[in-house]
Amino acid sequence: MKRRRKPSSPIHLSAPPLTVRPPLYFPVAGAMDIDDILADIAVETIPQETRDLQELTRCWVAERVAPEILAWPVELMERVLDRVRRQIELVEDQTGNMDPKTNFKLIVIQTELERFKFLVRSFLRARIAKIDKHPLHILAQHNASLTDPDARNPLLSPSEHQYLTSHQSLLSTHYSSSFLGQFPAALQRLDDTAGGISMVDKPDEDCAVFVRCLRDVGEVAVEGTEKVIRIKRGDVWVVRWCAVRRWVLAGDVELV
Amino acid sequence: MYGEVGNKLVQHAKRTQSLAHLPPYQSEMVRAATREVRDLDKDVATILEPFAGSFNPSTEPATACALLVNHLCMRRNKRCLLAYHRTRTDKLEEMCWSGVDVLERQQQQSSKAGGDGGPAMGTDSNSSSLSPEEEEYVRQYSDLLAAYKGQWTDIDLTGSLEPPRDLFIDVRVLKDAGEIQTEYGAITLTKNSQFYVRQGDVERLIAQGYLQRLS
Repeated sequence: MKRRRKPSSPIHLSAPPLTVRPPLYFPVAGAMDIDDILADIAVETIPQETRDLQELTRCWVAERVAPEILAWPVELMERVLDRVRRQIELVEDQTGNMDPKTNFKLIVIQTELERFKFLVRSFLRARIAKIDKHPLHILAQHNASLTDPDARNPLLSPSEHQYLTSHQSLLSTHYSSSFLGQFPAALQRLDDTAGGISMVDKPDEDCAVFVRCLRDVGEVAVEGTEKVIRIKRGDVWVVRWCAVRRWVLAGDVELV
Repeated sequence: MYGEVGNKLVQHAKRTQSLAHLPPYQSEMVRAATREVRDLDKDVATILEPFAGSFNPSTEPATACALLVNHLCMRRNKRCLLAYHRTRTDKLEEMCWSGVDVLERQQQQSSKAGGDGGPAMGTDSNSSSLSPEEEEYVRQYSDLLAAYKGQWTDIDLTGSLEPPRDLFIDVRVLKDAGEIQTEYGAITLTKNSQFYVRQGDVERLIAQGYLQRLS
């Protein structure tokens, strides 16, 4: 029995089955241009909904892995939330319909809906956790991103910004009514930098992340060390966040 | 000794992190640490008074050193106090997120301990583990959270953070929860009965401990 299971036919050794998009983690030397063309064509034939799901999943993974908060994907979130709303309406419309066929369809829709809701919820909660952890630092970054012409999207959504500012004012009121109000005036600030230590806490930008390279990046120097690494398409690396941050934001490298 | 109270506060904060409930607010210690800061500040003022604004550290190294120590102690106390309060507010926020009604629980505790006193108004009674400021903070934070959640009604932000596997789950009723409305009609949840229901309909009840999920 064991022997028969072994692949004996030569088909296994011939060319791999044709896929629309070659797997990204096996770089094919020399075939890069064709890959790129194929990838471009593939992207256009995939419907917007599927691409949004991919993008949302990617945002979610990245947000959960990256030490700092990433820009708010305005358009993507608008599309996703709009679709969620429409699906909920559809479900509400169709409930009460006892036709088994629609009933089954509804279950499929609802399952998908639950999954989408989970993704969005987890994504938002990951962001809120970061906002709560480093509020002043993120606020400064957000304000910088508003005036920065290079930043395509602001760092925070309007409601997140509102949450951050009200939470921060709540906290400072709480501190000052609990003890800070009785302090000497010079010591009442919460964003003091005197004495060489800034009171504003920052995320650890040196922490290690797993990344997969989507497009050739070339040589990457890791700050603070002598190390220079060559990142090629399809590679998976464990590197410091600050070393690859630029390319992650540009979309050349994705977090895994 | 300078900074001793601050140190104790930090130890309290550290302990709070691993506790399930919130230990009583150490108003005595907070007050002592604040007093220490004020005293130190007065000390600094008295030391600097004879110099009338023209103090040169290099000519008077001994005084400069005393000033530095005082100054660092004040900063350290501030850090300790901030850390203590932040740890507690973090804990309170966590409770708000998980849907625990902190204030109600406090009132229950205080009515159990103090009888007809109602919600404890001062930290001098041991009945409430929150300071009045913290109670106010919890109230306002819940409002803030509700406002933020209100913008995401479709998503239900405080919902489960476990990836959903099935639309329907088996649950067992632990406490009578009355009748709930689902899209397939009303279900009466009586103790010890078992149901196969939509997860979204009963998530709140599971979190509140009325239902138990069966795997």
